Amino acid sequence: MRAKLAWMLTPLLALCMSFSYGQEKTVSGNVTDQNGLPLPGVSVVVVGTSSGTQTDFDGNYSVTVSTGQVLRFSYIGQKTVERTIGASSTINIQMEEDAQALEEVVVTGYGSRSRELSTSAVSTVSTEKIEAFVPSTSVDNILQGQAAGVQVTAANGRPGQTAFVTIRGVGSISSSTTPLYVVDGVPVNSDFINNLNPNDIETFSILKDAATVSKYGSRGANGVVLITTKQGRSGDARVTFRSSYGFAERIPDPFDLMNASQKLELERQFADLGVSAAQSLPGANADDAERARLIGLDTNWEEELLRKSQIQSSSLSISGGSEKMTYFMSLGYDKNTGIIDRIDGFERITARLNTTYQAKDWLNVGTNISLSRNTTDLPRDRNNVQNPFRAMYDYNPWDPLYSRNPDGSIATDDQGDPIFNPTTAGFPIAKALITEPEDNRNFLIVGSLFADIQFSDKFSNRFTVGASNNRYNRTARSLAGGVLNTIVGDANFPGTQTDNFQNTLQYNVNNLFTYTDTYGDYHNLSASFLLEYNENIYTSLFASSRGFPSPEIPYQNIAAEATSAGTGEARRSLFSQGLFVDYDYDSKYILSGSIRRDGSSRFGPENKYGYFYSGSAAWNIANESFMEGTFVNDLKLRASYGTSGNQNIGDFAFLDLLQFNTYNGNTTAIPIGVGNPNVQWESQAILDIGVEFGLFNNRINGVVDYFKKNSKDLLLDQPLSHTVGDENNSITSNIGEVENSGIEISLNADVVRAENFVWRVGGNVSFLDNKVVSLVDGSDIINGDFGYNILREGEEINSFYTVKYAGVNPANGEPLYYDLDGNITNQYSGAFNTILEGKSPYANIEGGFFTSIKWGGFGVRADFVGKAGNYIMNFQRQAGISIGNIDSNQRVEAFNYWKQPGDTNVLPSPLYQGTADQDSDRWLERGDYLRLRTLTVDYTLPGKFMDRTGIDRIRVFATGQNLFTITEYNGDPEIGIGSDESSEAGTAGFIPGAFSLFSYPQTRSYTFGVEIGF
Amino acid sequence: MKNKLYTYCLASLLATGLLVSCDDELDIDPFEEGNPATFFNSVSSFQNGVDGIYSQLWNYYSSPGSGLQGIPDILADNVILSQTGRRSNEDYYDYRYNANTAGAISLYWSEAYEAINAANLVIGQIDNLAAGAARDNILGQAMAARAIAHFDLVRVYAMIPTQSADANNSPGIVYMKVEDGDTGDPYAQPARETVASNYAEIIGDLEQAAQLIGDSNGEGRLDRDGVYGMLSRVYLYNGDYQLAVSAANQVQTNVADAADLLDVYEDTTNEGVIIEWSVNTSSESGFNNVGVLYSQTTPPNTVSEYVIDYEFYNNLDANDLRLDVIQYDATNQGNNYNAVRKFLGETGQVNGRVDIKVLRAAEVLLNKAEAQFELDQEGPALTTLNTLRDARYTSYTGGESGQALEDAIQYERRVELSFEGHRFFDLKRRGEPIQRSNNGDIQDGTGTPPEVLILPAGDYRFQLPIPAAEINANPNMEQNPNY
Repeated sequence: MRAKLAWMLTPLLALCMSFSYGQEKTVSGNVTDQNGLPLPGVSVVVVGTSSGTQTDFDGNYSVTVSTGQVLRFSYIGQKTVERTIGASSTINIQMEEDAQALEEVVVTGYGSRSRELSTSAVSTVSTEKIEAFVPSTSVDNILQGQAAGVQVTAANGRPGQTAFVTIRGVGSISSSTTPLYVVDGVPVNSDFINNLNPNDIETFSILKDAATVSKYGSRGANGVVLITTKQGRSGDARVTFRSSYGFAERIPDPFDLMNASQKLELERQFADLGVSAAQSLPGANADDAERARLIGLDTNWEEELLRKSQIQSSSLSISGGSEKMTYFMSLGYDKNTGIIDRIDGFERITARLNTTYQAKDWLNVGTNISLSRNTTDLPRDRNNVQNPFRAMYDYNPWDPLYSRNPDGSIATDDQGDPIFNPTTAGFPIAKALITEPEDNRNFLIVGSLFADIQFSDKFSNRFTVGASNNRYNRTARSLAGGVLNTIVGDANFPGTQTDNFQNTLQYNVNNLFTYTDTYGDYHNLSASFLLEYNENIYTSLFASSRGFPSPEIPYQNIAAEATSAGTGEARRSLFSQGLFVDYDYDSKYILSGSIRRDGSSRFGPENKYGYFYSGSAAWNIANESFMEGTFVNDLKLRASYGTSGNQNIGDFAFLDLLQFNTYNGNTTAIPIGVGNPNVQWESQAILDIGVEFGLFNNRINGVVDYFKKNSKDLLLDQPLSHTVGDENNSITSNIGEVENSGIEISLNADVVRAENFVWRVGGNVSFLDNKVVSLVDGSDIINGDFGYNILREGEEINSFYTVKYAGVNPANGEPLYYDLDGNITNQYSGAFNTILEGKSPYANIEGGFFTSIKWGGFGVRADFVGKAGNYIMNFQRQAGISIGNIDSNQRVEAFNYWKQPGDTNVLPSPLYQGTADQDSDRWLERGDYLRLRTLTVDYTLPGKFMDRTGIDRIRVFATGQNLFTITEYNGDPEIGIGSDESSEAGTAGFIPGAFSLFSYPQTRSYTFGVEIGF
Repeated sequence: MKNKLYTYCLASLLATGLLVSCDDELDIDPFEEGNPATFFNSVSSFQNGVDGIYSQLWNYYSSPGSGLQGIPDILADNVILSQTGRRSNEDYYDYRYNANTAGAISLYWSEAYEAINAANLVIGQIDNLAAGAARDNILGQAMAARAIAHFDLVRVYAMIPTQSADANNSPGIVYMKVEDGDTGDPYAQPARETVASNYAEIIGDLEQAAQLIGDSNGEGRLDRDGVYGMLSRVYLYNGDYQLAVSAANQVQTNVADAADLLDVYEDTTNEGVIIEWSVNTSSESGFNNVGVLYSQTTPPNTVSEYVIDYEFYNNLDANDLRLDVIQYDATNQGNNYNAVRKFLGETGQVNGRVDIKVLRAAEVLLNKAEAQFELDQEGPALTTLNTLRDARYTSYTGGESGQALEDAIQYERRVELSFEGHRFFDLKRRGEPIQRSNNGDIQDGTGTPPEVLILPAGDYRFQLPIPAAEINANPNMEQNPNY
């Protein structure tokens, strides 16, 4: 060790001694790339000192040095250049591309490889794609349409809401299909992903084939999303300030709601036809004067309940470094008020510090730490009158926001405040938004520290300790005198409040030893051994009280009495070893293999340890001599096969348990569930065959992958004889099997690559197919929140299962249905439910594409996303035209009912309300759409304007999100959660995107911002 | 230098090893649940287990959709479907049930076996307690509760011994006894035993429990009177009339006065109640509300599911002191009904959340009177019947004999135990048909009469079908005939 140090010190000493008499002076110059274009951001360092700078936007730099010192110019993808300072005070540099360095690095899980030597299918999403989004967008939503093989369904439009992400289809029936998120080596629960600042993210790497996911063993089956945050680079500090402001509104519906006079007319028509629900409505009874008065009250409930949201975002980052140290620090603030009036929306503050330090020539240490806190309110998102998004469709336009006095003036209470109208729905929704506040706060810490130790040329070790900790607080109140307190509260104890506290800590320790060697000239071998330990600790606490003297003090300490309380805890742990081996022959023939052993506290005693393996191979055809000099720059064939697992199987499924409750106020201990000592991870095998290519000087490059993913041992309930006395009369067993297969294509092309004009296009598309292979004894499973989906062997997963509608009988307006034998009948029965083959909530085609143009300082970029082949049960349309809903507002379409024999293309006659309003495939619609997700126009000011200011970059931009959509769906086709609360994500039977039922809608936004760098 | 590096490397390996102390960390115990193999180690923890059995019994007696407190009345002639209700349990009322019918059929089968499983868990570990009165009391409660759950199963899904000559040899249910090694294999697929064998085991459990159980265990729990009371019923079902009389004689509890009767149903007194499954309506305010079987109240309307049969109500004696606990006037959608009063709620409440009256002193008297009549002891039978009638009428004629006496006993039984889950079983065990009156549902007898007016004696529908889920999971389980 000492010898090494001495060796290292000598040149430094020599430098100091030889040149300590040099004269200080200012050296400036210009740095260009090999095409002569200015290169901004090039690090210019005085070797052996900590001083240095970076080139500005026009490639210029200026630095104080002494004669004899050495300037080092470095930039990613370029060969580093060194120049000794002589007499000249101008040094211009033309840098050369470094073929070696240009090779894109692919993150492969527990390390990275050059793309050339990678044998796996990895999709990468980088900064420029992330920046275009509204910053309060949860980062998982950003992935939509950006990476082949990643299916993202926005959960709903609530600011900060996370998305449903699956990678290569649905690989489970009853367990979570959310991928594993790993931020800088630290696993982070997907629920907390919305607390990351998108501006901090350098890349998303999506691992989707066996060659990579097998390395994650029992957590890899759903794919892995590796998030790498930004790091500083050696050189002067770069400060970037970004601020934007914007607004958003609900995406308009492709249909119209009735206004007061239309609604009154429909009520009159229905009442005349004898519809009983219409008889008591004003349209049936009002005289001319009353009718005129009601029309005068015409209320657009959307305007009363919603608003334009305000979206505000500011971020500041400072990054840089010296030779030995780098740092990246950032602060971010985001606010999105959401489109519901009278509540606060979403707010997030984030802070990050990433540092690395070359402590010894053989030791590099670093930390990545981020703190973030968000606050969001949780408006009622359910299918009833408490939900403003249901209310705006339901409330009659002749019902005004405020109650009216007999003289027509707005009624006021004793305080002189206007009284909210309870309306015919019996619920003053606007008041409820004020008196039933519910919000939650999340404080997330993600931190890690690592040490990279180079024992010798061949032997290295990376040790990482990381943790993520989320503290969740929720406060739900019913204020005294509020809407719900009046209905369900206790008059003696006005006001109720419940507080929840949950802490989720996950920590991870891993140690990776790597040995690399070259045998002969061509045989390259690398082997890594991994030891990893992961533990999750969840604790919870809640308390409820009633009797609050003031709504201004939302703390239970002041309440008259506590009504309930509880605490809880859960834990799970995972201990793993892995061996990963990579071999290549002259970068032409590549072989990789991995094996991992996972022990999990969730697995039964009979299957405590699982082994997961993968093997992969690639052939770099482009490196063969016969390909030299052709237009093909890159051509690689690769294949991989391997296994992984899904350990999201719940805790303690292997144990017989006792549950505690009460009976007549006394504690009870009752056995629940029979444990299955054999219970284990759900297992999966993926086959992947892919080709990657780069043509015409890499102006066109692309990747095509075929995959087939078999998910086996899926947890299903195997029925037991009830005589056993099991709570569910079933035992959780690894029985089911599903298969996903598909083709993924991504293509990018530089259509024009000129000095001042670059036009790029690119995109990706996935074709997906899935089917159920086996279930318990081949029996169907009725699934979904309303039982309108089915799992049947040989059919698509969660195919729709409902009654088939046969249209309206043109003779009498009666709705007709198909019975189970396929005969048309005027009867309706739930017993007619039948599988609708090939119609499921899952898209067959999903993808996105972009086009971007840069011309001088101007830039335009448009990103489109879309999918096709999925179906959505449009319960929202059902609610909007059901005859029985005549007491609520209706869509204008409702006028189009059968009126006389021969009418076709009409809604059923209101005379047949009983059979017409029923659930059937009448409401099932294709969910295909193509949406302009983001459109960004920006302009970067030429550097010459800023020579004197010290500012080297000013960019102004405007972004529109969701500007237009092409779809035939009667509503907004981007649906994840149909109706939160009544259909909670993560609960049994929940299927993302299966139906629409008044969840928070998607929004269209416009933001304007500026970015300043110096 | 190399050596140092390797030393460091080893140290770092060790550090990792220590930090994660490996595989031991994979053994994590549940945090919010208990371990059924180790939890039962004291009298109080055993009592928690016994209270767990009661809670399972409560579950299926009190279910607002399918409670055993009311379904046997809906299956018989005391009530009629109200046309303005939700038409709940209509498949049962119209005898259209089959093995796939949701509700009572799957509920009782599943929940009663859960109660039995809970009982076997307690009984199987009883040796963790030192011998003595406390242990006997726990064991007695568990055995009695296990017997009651099996008794409910066999009377619902199988024939009753006195029902017909072939009843005893017909298929009963599976009797699960931990002592006999019946438990422990979750994949077991047991076959049905005979009715006779089931009754023998029920009686065996109860008789043993009677020797073990304490005299008073508090509200909602079984005790000595409860076990003898239940024995008097089971003996009667089994045709052991002398034993029924003897068991009834062991019961100390007296019949409630008519004046206290309303308080009994409003849970302000437990006068005359021998077995009940109880609910603490303040701390368990979200628990089952059994009254919903019959009606829900949204003032000023009462949405009745089932109302009192016109003929049954109008034949009640004007001197009958029970009229006020049986009936109240209710309206819905402009119609008047004779609504069921018994399970409306605690005093001042209309939420239907009350204790389940499983067995009352009045029934013990009726069991005894019927047994005495069957033993041709008409004099004593009349005396026993009069003990009850004295408490129920301002005045009555009485003095019946022969058929008139038998009818009087059965009439009194129908009235006294109305809506409490007896009528269907009483007709069934006596081999009689169910004959409904051809009146409508509205108070004055107009409205819609029942769709099915008679279920002939011996009809297969007296035995409810074994749920389809059981048949699918257990191929050895024989379905009842005609399903």
